[in-house]
Amino acid sequence: MAALLEVRDLATHFFTRDGVVKAVDGISFSLDPGKTLAVVGESGSGKSVTALSIMRLIQEPAGRIVDGEVYFKGDSVLAMNESQVRDLRGDRIAMIFQDPMTSLNPVFRVGRQIGESLMLHRHLSRKDAFERAIELLDMVGIPHPRDRARDYPHQFSGGMRQRAMIAMALACDPDILIADEPTTALDVTIQAQILELMSELQERTGTAIIMITHDLGIVADMADDVMVMYAGKQIEYGPADSVFYRSGHPYTWGLLDSLPRHDVDEKGTLLPITGQPPSLINVPSGCAFHPRCRYAREICPREVPASREVGEGHFAACHFAGQDGFVRGAAQAGGEVA
Amino acid sequence: MIKYVFRRILQMIPVFIGVTVLLFILRAPGVLPGDPVRMITGERPISDALREQIIKKHALDQPLHKQYYIYVTNLLKGDLGESYQRRTSVVDIFADKFPNTLRLALAAIVIEIIVGIAAGIISAVRQYSFSDVFVTLSTSVLVSVPVFWLGMLLQIFFGIRLKEWTGGAVFLPMSQMSSSQFPDWVHLILPAITLASVSTAYVARIMRSQMLEAMGQDYIRTAEAKGLTRRAVIFRHALKNALIPVVTFVGIDFGVMMSGAILTETVFSWPGVGREIFLAVGQRDWPVVMGGVIIIVVIVMIINLLVDLSYAVLDPRIRYGGAQE
Ligand SMILES: Nc1ncnc2c1ncn2[C@@H]1O[C@H](COP(=O)(O)OP(=O)(O)O)[C@@H](O)[C@H]1O
Ligand SMILES: [Mg+2]
Repeated sequence: MAALLEVRDLATHFFTRDGVVKAVDGISFSLDPGKTLAVVGESGSGKSVTALSIMRLIQEPAGRIVDGEVYFKGDSVLAMNESQVRDLRGDRIAMIFQDPMTSLNPVFRVGRQIGESLMLHRHLSRKDAFERAIELLDMVGIPHPRDRARDYPHQFSGGMRQRAMIAMALACDPDILIADEPTTALDVTIQAQILELMSELQERTGTAIIMITHDLGIVADMADDVMVMYAGKQIEYGPADSVFYRSGHPYTWGLLDSLPRHDVDEKGTLLPITGQPPSLINVPSGCAFHPRCRYAREICPREVPASREVGEGHFAACHFAGQDGFVRGAAQAGGEVA
Repeated sequence: MIKYVFRRILQMIPVFIGVTVLLFILRAPGVLPGDPVRMITGERPISDALREQIIKKHALDQPLHKQYYIYVTNLLKGDLGESYQRRTSVVDIFADKFPNTLRLALAAIVIEIIVGIAAGIISAVRQYSFSDVFVTLSTSVLVSVPVFWLGMLLQIFFGIRLKEWTGGAVFLPMSQMSSSQFPDWVHLILPAITLASVSTAYVARIMRSQMLEAMGQDYIRTAEAKGLTRRAVIFRHALKNALIPVVTFVGIDFGVMMSGAILTETVFSWPGVGREIFLAVGQRDWPVVMGGVIIIVVIVMIINLLVDLSYAVLDPRIRYGGAQE
C-alpha cells in the first residue's frame, strides 16, 4: 500500500547574503493514514522548513527545494503546478502554526476566517460557510460558538485562538494536519487541553498528523513514529516505542535525558545537552553533532555517518549506532571521548 | 461610542476658545502695527464723525474682553462680522469661496487615493523591481519639491510651452472660466495635481511600507496555507490591514485640503478659502482672517473626529468607549 505521504531525501536551502543555509538537508519519512508522526528537534533544526517545504510554501527565490521528492497519495507534490498545489493546501493538507496570537488575521471575524477555505475548496456560499464554521467551533470545544464566530481574534484567549486555528485547519476534513509547535506559545495546562483535543479529533476524523515539537515529552503518548532532526538532518527515525526505549543516537539520548521524569524523585538529574546548535551555513564536518557529542571519536568529524537500521524500521545516523554496548546510559562516564 | 463622540466634541471647546483668544490677542493694539480704523478706511482722509461712527460700529472702543464677548456671541448666532475692505459679511465671502476649495480638495484627494495607493501596492508586491525603484525615487523627489515651485513649473510647461496644444486650457485662472471654451473640470487638473503631489508621494510610501509589513505577518502564511491565490492573499488579507494607517493619513490630509490650500490656490489664482485668507492677511482685513481661521479649525476638528471613528470601523481591535474586557 502506498503511503499517504512519502518524503524522500528532501533538501531545502536558503540563499542568503552570508551564504547558503542548509535548513533541511536529506529528510526521508513516510506517513500512513490516521497515524501521527512527531518531528522533534531543537529550535533552528529545520522542522518548520520541512513542513513548509511539504506545503510548497517556501518563499522563492531566497529559499528553494533543491533536492528530493514529496509524494502525496503517489502524486509528486514538487512536480505540481501552482494551482494544483493550491488545491492541496487547506483542503487535503492543512497546517496550524506556533503562535495563535499572530496567525489569525486581526481584521476578519473568526467565523469568516474558518469559513474561508470552505468557500474556496467546497464552494459554499458565505452564509453556509459561516454556519459550518459555527459547527466547527463547537467541535473544537468553544462555548457559545454562534456568538463567538462573530468575534474578532483579539476577543479570544490564546487557547481559544489555537482551537479556532484547529477548527480552521479541519474545515475541509484534510488527510494530513501539520501542526507546527501548536502548544509552544501556550500555558502548560492549556497545552495539555489542546493536545488532548487533537488526539480526540484525530480519532474522530482519521486525519494523519505531523506534530512538530521541540519537546519529546509532549508527544510520547500521541506519536506512532518519531523523527529527530539536528542541523537540518534527520538523525533518527523510527516507531515511537523503539525510539523512546532503544534509541541509537547520542543526540536523542540527550533529548530523553533532558526530559523531566515523573517516575524518579528529586535525585533524578536533568542532563541538558551542552553547547549551542551549529550555524546552518557552516555545518560541522562529518557528523554535525560531533562537537557536542561526548562519544565523539576520530572518525566523527571526518565522515558523514550513514543511516543504520538499529531496529525494525528504526534508523539512526551515527557511526556507532547499533554496536554492542553503545546504548543510552551505558557509556555514561564518557570515557571514550576522543 | 456615543459617549466617546460626545467627549470628543467637549474637548473641542477649549481648543476653539484657545484659537479665538490667540487671534484676538494678535489684533490687540500694539501687537500688530496699524490703526484699525485706517485698516477699514484705507489712506483717504476721513472726518472725525465718520471715525467715531466706525469705532462704534465695530465696537473698537470697548476693552478687548468685551469685544471678544461680542464676537463670540455673534459667532454662536452664525455671524462672523463684516469685512473691513468690502462691505459684505464674512459668512457670505466664505460661502462663496468654499465650494471652490471643496472641488479642488476632492479632485486632489481622488488623485492621492488612486495614484498613491496603486503605486504603493505595486511597489510592495514587486519589491526591488523597476516599478518599485521608480516609485521609491519619484516619491523621494516629490516630497522635497516645494508645492508653489511645482505649480509654477506645471504652468510654464502646459500653459506656455504647450500653449498651442492645450489651447491654454489648463492655465486659465477661475475668474476666466465662464468665458472658457473648456468644461470646468479641465481647469482643475493642474491645481489638483499640484495640491495632491506631496500627499500622493506620502500615501505611496506609507502604503508600500505597510503592505510589506503586512505581507510578512504570520496570518499571511495562514492564508497561504489555506490554498488562497496570491491575489486573494494580497488584496484580501494584507490590504485590509495595510490600509488602516493610509486611511488615517488621507483623512487628515483631506481636512487640511478642505481648509484651503494657501500655496496652490495662490499660485493658480484659485478663488478658494486659502487664497481668500492669504489676501485678507495682506490687507489686514481682520474679520476675514479670523472668520477664515475659525472655519478651518472647525472643519479640521470635525474631520479628525470622523477619521478616528473610521479607524474603529476598519480596525476591530479599537472600540472607543466600548465594553471593557
Ligand atoms: N526565510 C529564511 N531565510 C533564511 N534562513 C531561513 C529562512 N527560514 C528559515 N531559515 C533558517 O533555516 C533554519 C531552520 O529553521 P526552522 O525550520 O524554522 O527551524 P525550527 O526547527 O525551529 O522550526 C534556521 O537556521 C533558520 O535560520
Ligand atoms: Mg519552527
